[in-house]
Amino acid sequence: MVLLQLDPFLNELTSMFERSTETGSVWVTLKRSSLKSKVVRNKMATAGEAIEYRCLIRATNGKKTISTSVGPKDHQRFQASYATILKAHMTSLKKRERKDKKKSSEADKREGTSKRPKKS
Amino acid sequence: MVYITSWDEFVERSVQLFRADPDSTRYVMKYRHCDGKLVLKVTDNRECLKFKTDQAQEAKKMEKLNNIFFTLMARGPEVDLSEVTGKEQTDVQPTKRGRGRKQ
Repeated sequence: MVLLQLDPFLNELTSMFERSTETGSVWVTLKRSSLKSKVVRNKMATAGEAIEYRCLIRATNGKKTISTSVGPKDHQRFQASYATILKAHMTSLKKRERKDKKKSSEADKREGTSKRPKKS
Repeated sequence: MVYITSWDEFVERSVQLFRADPDSTRYVMKYRHCDGKLVLKVTDNRECLKFKTDQAQEAKKMEKLNNIFFTLMARGPEVDLSEVTGKEQTDVQPTKRGRGRKQ
């Protein structure tokens, strides 16, 4: 697992998306973490120190994994760049027109029957 | 593995899940360009909520949810009303659409 700085991570993420256009998936995982082991955390808690939490972000294409950790100071900048990357690459999703009610009900039916049909 | 059909319900339940256990809750996104499918998963290793879509408008909603999670995770689960404003209230500049309250 490669731990990168913010900007190299974003660059790698972009190239990951670009490489997975024909085949394959991209997974992105977000998790809160203090990046310290439980022992250290307990010690810090008993000592009365505030534990600094960061947001751990991991991305993989099934073969290669990259990760980075974002603190509260950089999270807004990262958020903006991340949103831009996603918007630029998620182009294969369908555009829905809400003019026709029939069309939306058809789309619902398709979504329901594409995997397992659920009977409520 | 529960697939939630309503976006709003998915958002509300995932934020609740996160606030209940911020240390073990994670948010996963899987995107397949070749199939044109997006799947979101929020789990705390006990309960799992999933949402799948192939619609571009849901991707836009997902971006807002991403922002919510970033804020929650980086700053802490006590962030207030992040669902309403999308960020912490102190960050957002209130846009006033008052009808001629200027004197």
